[in-house]
Amino acid sequence: MGIRQLAKLIVDHAPRAYKEQDIRALFGRVIAIDASMCIYQFLVAVRTADAANLTNESGEITSHLSGVFYRTIKLLELGIKPIYVFDGKAPDLKANELAKRRSRREEDEQAAAKAREEGDLELYAKYARRVNKVSAETIDNVKRLLRLMGIPVVEAPSEAEAQCAVLTRAGLAYATASEDMDALTFGTPLLIRNLFAALASGAERKDRKPSEFSLAITLEDLGISMDQFIDICILCGCDYTCTIPKIGPYRALMLVKQHGCIEEVLASLRESNHPIPDDFDYLGARGLFKEPHVKDAADIEPLLEWHAPNEEGLVQFLVQENSFNEQLVRKAVERMTKALRSGVANQSRLDNFFKPKTLPKKHEPERPSSKRSTKRARKT
Amino acid sequence: MFEARFPEALLLKKILEAIKDLVQDANFECTESGITLQAMDNAHVSLVTLLLRGEGFDLYRVDKPESLGINLNSMSKIMRCAANNDTVTVDKLEGADTVRFLFESPNADRMSEFHLKLMDIDSETLEIPESMYHAEIELPSAELRRIVSDLSTMGDSVRISVSKEGVRFTVRGDEGSGSVILRQSTGVDKPEEAIHIVMNEPVEQSFALKYLNLFCKAAPLSARAQIKLSKDAPLLVNFSMNNIGYLAYYLAPKIGDEDIEE
Repeated sequence: MGIRQLAKLIVDHAPRAYKEQDIRALFGRVIAIDASMCIYQFLVAVRTADAANLTNESGEITSHLSGVFYRTIKLLELGIKPIYVFDGKAPDLKANELAKRRSRREEDEQAAAKAREEGDLELYAKYARRVNKVSAETIDNVKRLLRLMGIPVVEAPSEAEAQCAVLTRAGLAYATASEDMDALTFGTPLLIRNLFAALASGAERKDRKPSEFSLAITLEDLGISMDQFIDICILCGCDYTCTIPKIGPYRALMLVKQHGCIEEVLASLRESNHPIPDDFDYLGARGLFKEPHVKDAADIEPLLEWHAPNEEGLVQFLVQENSFNEQLVRKAVERMTKALRSGVANQSRLDNFFKPKTLPKKHEPERPSSKRSTKRARKT
Repeated sequence: MFEARFPEALLLKKILEAIKDLVQDANFECTESGITLQAMDNAHVSLVTLLLRGEGFDLYRVDKPESLGINLNSMSKIMRCAANNDTVTVDKLEGADTVRFLFESPNADRMSEFHLKLMDIDSETLEIPESMYHAEIELPSAELRRIVSDLSTMGDSVRISVSKEGVRFTVRGDEGSGSVILRQSTGVDKPEEAIHIVMNEPVEQSFALKYLNLFCKAAPLSARAQIKLSKDAPLLVNFSMNNIGYLAYYLAPKIGDEDIEE
């Protein structure tokens, strides 16, 4: 998924580019959310005690609707304005990766069925959580829900992360929220991970915070260009082509820094008789990262409006069609209207007016042996 | 080595009360000339700045500039252990990871000390431009506190408009609306109740009452409050503490339409 071990590479070798941020600091920000990723997360996370998904009367899964509905409202209450960006058609090069995921899912499905037969509920829960099919209908339902909520929905022609990157680069969004690190490879200036995890109940108690990755600082501190960054990501392992055996993220970084680009890296590897798979299609992958199939930011800008929620529409959809509790839905809609009206929507941020004097201090990873007690050390 | 002695615990207590509900953790920057603090609330909507001049202390000594990262809630708990008229000595040895608070009663028959662990706080300092404001109002701080708390009962945000008439504070809520007008007054008998309004240009801007309420916790520090505002710029509310220094707050305005599109 995404780029293999890229997060670790950045945290280890460009620590200044990574920081954990209090979710409330995102107040007033527009965030482009990779919708498929969050739907998938909700299918995994929003479950009943016995690991079953929530369902409506006709047995259709509704976990994702519940997740999207309640957590989107939480975002609005924090003054964060979400844009949901949906995947379009997967690029042809992704076929291999998708086939792999499909077969992994089938294995998990079988394992889950077997565990259930044997009565091992713990093991069943483990595998059942992994089995998640995101069908076209699932996606359409989420889109319908968001539109009823008055939240902007963007349909990307292909990969959602690539479209999010376009919106963020154009300044229409402050950051891209995705778990996929390849959002950075597509050129998003700022990537936020764990946005929804930080919204879950009890997240604050567990000190779970969104983490931010800055592309500019990553490039600066690794001492590489954007083109080289893309090459490193391809060598690390992306969704669009295979990897070269025995080349991990750190080697990829060193090799590209030493030789400049994949072509030269391959030349030097061939010299030392390092095996290179025949189907290593770095040119195809590089083309996708550099010129992904996306819509222009200017075409999307007029769609980015946040409207008041359609209460009756939401009740019809969630209560009548999907067996949600009407009282809870109406209460949530009320909270949402209040969040929009009480003006979190038009409160400006102070840092729009005053600019930082100096760059933030170099972010050092927290060490348990650190002399001074850090925030985390205090709470435990 | 850093050492500062406050003649009275009460001042430090009031300062903490005025900051701790807005900001949880902050760095106290201690330099030769005095102690400063600058911090934003966690939503980055407001900013508080504190200055305590070195000469305002009984004793003030800084060998090397120090940045003391402190959890304000913990510090406030410690300060509650001091009597209002105790002297407070705050000191830190070079390289130490704690700061010490020493309380001494006026007739020196009681002495207590507390140690507080320091924290590493990653925060950026903002550059506050020295700007000309469109309007400046000086009024009794109790008056400001009263207006803010009265209007908070009706709604979430207040519209402040300065014109030839005076200063008007307006609130609109679900149940109704309200407004307060202040006019220039010299306060012939009681100069401390005077209201001074300087208007360079008429200005009108909305602000969240929630934050103004938190700012008004500084009212006990100063009899007078100053409000400065400009179009499309943060509001400044300043509480000056005579020769010791000041506590000032900045608040980002509300922008755009009054209501969300229906």
